[in-house]
Amino acid sequence: METIIQYRQVLIDGTIVTVSLAVLSLCLSIVFGLLGAFAQLSEAVALRRLGGFYTMFVRGVPELVLMMLIFFGGQLLINDIGHITGLWGYVDVNQFFAGVLTLGFIFGAYMAETFRGAILAIPVGQIEAAKSVGMSARQVFTLVTWPQMVRYALPSFTNNWLVLVKATALVSVIGLHDLVWNAFSAGRSNHKLFTFMIAVLAIYLVITALSDLALRWVERKYNAGTRKA
Amino acid sequence: MAAFDTNIDANLSLEVRDLHKSYGSLEVLKGVSLEARQGDVISMLGSSGSGKSTFLRCINLLETPNAGSIIVHGEEIELGHNKHGAFRPKDKRQVERIRARLAMVFQSFNLWSHMTVLENVIAGPVHVLKQPKAEAIEKAKAVLERVGMYERRDYYPSHISGGQQQRAAIARALAMDPEVMLFDEPTSALDPELVGEVLKVIRSLAEEGRTMVVVTHEMGFARDVSNKVIFLHQGLIEEQGHPDEMFEAPKTQRFHDFLANTRD
Repeated sequence: METIIQYRQVLIDGTIVTVSLAVLSLCLSIVFGLLGAFAQLSEAVALRRLGGFYTMFVRGVPELVLMMLIFFGGQLLINDIGHITGLWGYVDVNQFFAGVLTLGFIFGAYMAETFRGAILAIPVGQIEAAKSVGMSARQVFTLVTWPQMVRYALPSFTNNWLVLVKATALVSVIGLHDLVWNAFSAGRSNHKLFTFMIAVLAIYLVITALSDLALRWVERKYNAGTRKA
Repeated sequence: MAAFDTNIDANLSLEVRDLHKSYGSLEVLKGVSLEARQGDVISMLGSSGSGKSTFLRCINLLETPNAGSIIVHGEEIELGHNKHGAFRPKDKRQVERIRARLAMVFQSFNLWSHMTVLENVIAGPVHVLKQPKAEAIEKAKAVLERVGMYERRDYYPSHISGGQQQRAAIARALAMDPEVMLFDEPTSALDPELVGEVLKVIRSLAEEGRTMVVVTHEMGFARDVSNKVIFLHQGLIEEQGHPDEMFEAPKTQRFHDFLANTRD
């Protein structure tokens, strides 16, 4: 315990990286997810195929592989482009940024499936009713589709979020100093790896419990009209 | 109520000319026309598959017709071929504006389930007609009173009966103060004992002088309330006229048979 207190700053720093990485990746995954869902539900065949390929490809490949592909491959690509065009010299890709991009891209595919299912669960008649009073496409989305989509998407969204929080641990392979990386190096240096892993476990549980509370609140907010609590 | 202009067709609320609609190779509408003057109550009859619901849904472009024209109070919806050769409205804004003047009541009510009855009624006036919220609420209360749903204004759709949901949906349509109301089999999804309360509301709106086109299976309604009946058969108008004449002496064998089949 004393060791933990002594190393608390390392753990706090790691937690901050992990949480901000998870939250930013979540935001990005919502954007990718909405784009993916709309692409798959689009009238245009090309968009449908693109959306379908995105979700199939990403969900079919291990996160770790994609992470390394995007981080190292992305780095090469950016520098190649810089070299060919002569627009920029050698660029070192920011690890945090790369982590957010990778996780957002990967979890966007899961979110796309979540959102697609949620949109399909909304009775078509309610969309038609919205059109029939003269609402624009944007109004139909914000007033009718979105509030109901959130409700249908929430259980699966929660699941995606919890998996995402845990997946942030993968960024230690690209050298990002997240909670797991910090705890692991601290534990190894003073031979108390077990103690540090227990601390990490506790911190992840706290994050999970807090997000559960927050998501329950969202659920209550969006459950109007379904059943009386 | 808008002032009458000097145009001779000022009281022509809705005109549909030669509407065609196909799904793939199946031609559902083969050229159907309709004229609704102010205060007209037009009943559209026909067996299932005759195209009457499709016709109604084409009027406010929930379905896109393949040919034909739709004119709402002198304003024609601009339809044309897009770059892929499909027949489509040219101006989305115009479609939205025209839809706001043609309120639709659906067979399955289609109330927005995350909003209370009152919220359902004010959504269109506030967001589409840009009425101030307080004003919209006052008007909505009056409209809900009109359909006997004032007491239930704070209920969610899932907590009220089908008949009440349909009356709320009628209130939602009425709150837009539409030029023409379109009813798509408004009582077909209701339990028999709930049909009466909804028909009573529609009937009272007709008596008040509302212009409406009603796709229905309720022969009593078509006969007693409407001033014009259109009988569709396989995508074409088989017979039309005043209900008294049509029901007393059908001119076509098909309408005669249709009437015979609907009588118990």
